[in-house]
Amino acid sequence: MEEDDGAEEQQRFSYRQRLKAAVHYTVGCLCEEVALDKETQFSKQAIAAISEVTFRQCENFAKDLEMFARHAKRSTINTEDVKLLARRSNSLLKYITEKNEEIAQFNLERKAKKKKKSEDENKNSTEQAEAGVVESEN
Amino acid sequence: MGGAGGFWVPGPEGKGLQAKISDEGSSLHPLLPPPCIIQSCWSLHRAQRALLETPSSRRLSSQTKTTARRRSQRIRSIGKLAHVQASGYLEEQTPRTLLKNILLTAPESSIVMPKSVVKPGPAPQVVQPSSRESSRGSLELQLPELEPPTTLAPGLLAPGRRKQRLRLSVFQEGMDKGLPLSQESRGNADASSLTSSLNLTFATPLQPQSVQRPGLARRPPTRRAVDVGAFLQDLRDTSLALAPPGESLTAPVATLPTDTVLEDTQPFSQPLVGRSPSVHHSLPCPSHSGAEDAERAVSHRTRSTGPRLQNNSPGKPAQLLAGKAEVDALAMNFPNTSSSIFGEVGVEPLQDGVGGEAEERTEKSLSMSKVKEAARARGSARAQEPEGHTQVTEAEGSQGAIETKEPEGSSGDCPTSSRRVSPELASSTPEFLQAKRIQGLEPAPPPSTAVLPSEPLEPLSARLPPRARTPGPKACQNPYKTGLSHYAKLFSFYAKMPMEKKALEMVEKCLDKYFQHLCDDLEMFAAHAGRKTVRPEDLELLMRRQGLVTDQVSLHVLVERHLPLEYRQLLIPCAFSGNSVFPAQ
Repeated sequence: MEEDDGAEEQQRFSYRQRLKAAVHYTVGCLCEEVALDKETQFSKQAIAAISEVTFRQCENFAKDLEMFARHAKRSTINTEDVKLLARRSNSLLKYITEKNEEIAQFNLERKAKKKKKSEDENKNSTEQAEAGVVESEN
Repeated sequence: MGGAGGFWVPGPEGKGLQAKISDEGSSLHPLLPPPCIIQSCWSLHRAQRALLETPSSRRLSSQTKTTARRRSQRIRSIGKLAHVQASGYLEEQTPRTLLKNILLTAPESSIVMPKSVVKPGPAPQVVQPSSRESSRGSLELQLPELEPPTTLAPGLLAPGRRKQRLRLSVFQEGMDKGLPLSQESRGNADASSLTSSLNLTFATPLQPQSVQRPGLARRPPTRRAVDVGAFLQDLRDTSLALAPPGESLTAPVATLPTDTVLEDTQPFSQPLVGRSPSVHHSLPCPSHSGAEDAERAVSHRTRSTGPRLQNNSPGKPAQLLAGKAEVDALAMNFPNTSSSIFGEVGVEPLQDGVGGEAEERTEKSLSMSKVKEAARARGSARAQEPEGHTQVTEAEGSQGAIETKEPEGSSGDCPTSSRRVSPELASSTPEFLQAKRIQGLEPAPPPSTAVLPSEPLEPLSARLPPRARTPGPKACQNPYKTGLSHYAKLFSFYAKMPMEKKALEMVEKCLDKYFQHLCDDLEMFAAHAGRKTVRPEDLELLMRRQGLVTDQVSLHVLVERHLPLEYRQLLIPCAFSGNSVFPAQ
């Protein structure tokens, strides 16, 4: 039992580490882009700090999103939850809202088109597309 | 000279007790007629000491063997008697029993003022033996102390029991002090003064006991003195503040001392002499709320809140409330008096709280910290009354209910509960409690304004008197600002440093933004759940985001931690106010 727990924990830890590494890599790439854009440089410690902060914030966001969804008596996280999460930053909220509207519109259009072809297939695809879009968006 | 058995030695000739008695010719036996308590104590004392000392005394004393034998016999008998009589009293309880006896029998002869109480007596006699005794030690001293009573007894018997009792008690006092008090009580008195320097074995326990157990200490004289003096002073201050200056003031002031005296001794006494029963009703309430505030001790500005009105309603519920804490009992005494004062003034129809407040102010002068706080709370609340520019609907409603409940409430006689706005409570929500105020009930703003100066607390209170605002649109703006100003003051208080006005303004701004943000969040949370009313779930969500509510700490834990039941008088009206809560002035 303890061994299992230990192994599980180790697994989780390694999983976490991998996630952190992925975030770190992504942050590094983004920082490089910004550095090129602004013609400034990022030190490694700065990138590490940013990635660490990003990782922790992601954890917070996830918990908050779950709380919001539960607060709305849902079991699925929705764009509404995301908007609630992003309300603090006006620009971010605006951006997300715009994107959300775009997606919604896009989906509607898609639906209208695909409805003509076959209802079931369209529905499934649009749902998947929406989910994928939402995920990528968020 | 007598040996360690100082008891035997210091006597006139160092004879045994029996010999002494025979010499005296008195039939008084140390173990006989005198009050059994004293007797038992005495005998116990003697038994103890004698048992301890006899061997040494035998050796040391120059007395004859017969006397020693007699002594030992006597000691044994005494010891037996002691055991029989004072089976309950053991060595460690002797000082206590002695103290009890003293308190019971000789209130006049207080340890604090031995000389004044007791007439001057044969001091030299006392001194000599005492010096001798002291050399031996505290234990030995007790025996010599015991001796004098025997000598005194015969003489005292004739005059009367009372005197005898008095002297014996005084003597016992001296015993406690550790000095042998010889014949006269006066001598004892002097000895007691000496004993303090010589032997402190018993002296110390007495005072600390009284200090440690103020509730048990029966020293009405000292207590009354303090109370009356401070109280009168406060009364003067408050009475001046009271609306109709002059006329009615004299009457209440005159009657106050007696009331205070009476009330002090009877914490929960309903029967206030000459006071309307409504005053009594108010007593538990203000004290109760005061106690709450005292407990809070958030700031000296805490004021009793409107919920007190509920207390004004039949005294029973108030009593129940008041019965909660000891402080209530203490505070009640004071509120009674002050409320009575106000009642007499008859300025305000419902002056329960007002009275309490005035009393609170008076209480401030008292040394009791809790009472002080309560007093402050009340006093400040009282000051708030006259403001009356904001109103709490529920306060009104509650007050209306209270009025119906209390027949005397509207009578000018009783200081009805004036709504107090709970000024500054630590938590943010309580700030809204400040708004509780019963406007209609306090038609006498001027008197309270006069009272305000007596309160060192708020500059706001100074502002209050001139205002004659009615709750209305102004209230909408002012509450926000006044509430924040309260917080700013709290901030400056806890900063323990002088603060610039600009800094305070910035603090206010930040607080304003913070609270607005909080409320926006709450609104959004409610909307997120498809509702239009903010519910506790929204609050919980907010607190979760703030990090106050975690998986380890739930909301209920926080509620219990920060919203104690003692403040329910403040909290419940606020909760049921229906969203019409305004901050106090």
